Amino acid sequence: MKLLALMKKEFLRFFGDPKLIVTMLLPGILIYLIYSLMGTAIFGGEEVYHFKVYVTEHSAAETVIAQTVEANEGWSIEFLELGELTPEEAVAEVQEGNADAVIVYPENFDEGIASGGGFDSSLDLIYNSAETQSLRVYTILNAVFASWARPFVLTASDMGESDAFGMQMMSGFLPFLIVVFIFSSCMSVTLESIAGEKERGTLATILVTSARRSDIALGKILPLACVSLIGAASSFLGVALSLPTLMGVSIDVAIAGVGALEFFFIFLLIVSVVPLIVAAIAAVSTLSRSVKEASSYTSVLMILVMVLSIVASFVSGIGDWVVVIPVLNAVVAMQGALMGAASVWMCLTAVALNLVYTVLLVLLISRFLSSERIMFGT
Amino acid sequence: MEENNAPFPAYGDEVIQAEGLRKIFALSRRQRALEKTNDAYRIAVDGLDLRAYRGEIYGLLGPNGAGKTTTLRMLSTLIKPDAGDAFVCGYSVCKQPDKVRDVIGFMTSELKLEGFFTPSYLFDFFGAMHGMDKAKLAARKKELFVRFGIDKFAEVKVKDLSTGMKQKVSLVIAIVHDPDVVIFDEPTNGLDVLTAKVVTDFLLELKAMGKSIILSTHIFSLVEKLCDRVGIIIDGKMVADGTLLQLCGGMTLEDRFFEIYRETKGESV
Repeated sequence: MKLLALMKKEFLRFFGDPKLIVTMLLPGILIYLIYSLMGTAIFGGEEVYHFKVYVTEHSAAETVIAQTVEANEGWSIEFLELGELTPEEAVAEVQEGNADAVIVYPENFDEGIASGGGFDSSLDLIYNSAETQSLRVYTILNAVFASWARPFVLTASDMGESDAFGMQMMSGFLPFLIVVFIFSSCMSVTLESIAGEKERGTLATILVTSARRSDIALGKILPLACVSLIGAASSFLGVALSLPTLMGVSIDVAIAGVGALEFFFIFLLIVSVVPLIVAAIAAVSTLSRSVKEASSYTSVLMILVMVLSIVASFVSGIGDWVVVIPVLNAVVAMQGALMGAASVWMCLTAVALNLVYTVLLVLLISRFLSSERIMFGT
Repeated sequence: MEENNAPFPAYGDEVIQAEGLRKIFALSRRQRALEKTNDAYRIAVDGLDLRAYRGEIYGLLGPNGAGKTTTLRMLSTLIKPDAGDAFVCGYSVCKQPDKVRDVIGFMTSELKLEGFFTPSYLFDFFGAMHGMDKAKLAARKKELFVRFGIDKFAEVKVKDLSTGMKQKVSLVIAIVHDPDVVIFDEPTNGLDVLTAKVVTDFLLELKAMGKSIILSTHIFSLVEKLCDRVGIIIDGKMVADGTLLQLCGGMTLEDRFFEIYRETKGESV
């Protein structure tokens, strides 16, 4: 009953304040706007496309690809057999912008699709991320092959300049952005939750009731985590809705490109990170003597999370050990998921560990609430 | 309130009995620099004995840093004594803090309620924190809100109330669970004269309701106006206590206090 009363109060505090609700929804809106703008900047302007793709042989896949392409108004695709051209010459055409992609089918590709595998499973795709049109057709081909040609492993080679601002860059940046936005929305609701009560003197009034310290800690964190999940859901929706614009394709192609399982993992990772960040900020709030002090300490925590997330986002070859580091594990796992190659064990381990860290932080906050030095500065 | 199955202890008229209370605080480097000392510890309360009786207002009088707040925090179970023990309505603050919390109301003039909520909601919230059932809580709310004139603004958000009204709400919330003992740290500290009057009237009203009150202050006039008995605390030690008449012996409380201060410290202020 006491736990319920504490939780109800936190919920009321949030839902009675329109400013807090807006703050919660902002991350998703910002992610949507920023990524849609980035997508428009890359793909915007041209609305009519005629894609030119070299193939080593004609395949039944062309019908599916053509249907997906033509689902976009004004778009069409042409498949040209290499014929006189050598594969190297076809690649040079892509590099120079005269063609958009080269598909190198393995032998008996169509039979492999029909029988569900059992043949050479490599499928090569060459494109040029420096060319908008090539990047767009790559996204479509990637999505179609991921869903339609499952037994085959697609190996994509980018002929674009190394400094091209491509998809990989954005996929790397997105998890960092998600974590930063989640952190800021958690901060807006959590920061003053305990430090504010301490400053107003209401915490002492609660502490002289017979409510258990663990109930007080949980009564704060559970509702704040639920409320912050609104922010997380908003961030997730922002990501999902901006992906089509970002990839320059329709939403079904975008979902097929990333993969339903990957989307599910991204959602799970966000859900695991939110209570963890809430608990971490609540711990800082408990340790602080005032909201101002809590704000300063949390800013330091945020900078730390940001720096580590940037490192995790842009430094390649980070080992699996990163899975034990809270929040960072989610950044790295989300990156993999956004590239359409989620590591199941990493995603699940990251989610489980983040939840364990959250429980540990709740226990720590209960101890803080029992500490005279922390509560009364004695 | 939650059902208390323990037999009600026999404590007679003594609602508070403190024996040899002692509290030592470790000093941080910053505190040592501020207090210009090399000592790693400071004795905040040093072997303090105290008796407070049913239905009286007991004043703990002393200068800043004398140990008044620390004593009241130990009595209200917010902090634990390093030595000694205190019994509130027969319950030990060291061994039965939950029982003590059921029979005390703790107040401080520094309490600022969240502006977003209404007095009615906050009353219900703190009632729930004390484990009161809904019917009892509703009856108690009606009684106290009418008695202290809060019923007229029960559903107005705290942020829209005057300072005096806010103070009334804070006071009523502290006694939501009908405690026998009310512990009040610096009741009028930092309050304007009108709000201070709200508080002093409230305390007299509580006394009339049969409650026992222990308060800390450094304001002589407040003690003279409200308290039946007074204890003078200097450097964490109870240096004198008794009724105002016993203590002052014809002198004003202020003059007597400084006399005791000189005798204790061996120096004038």
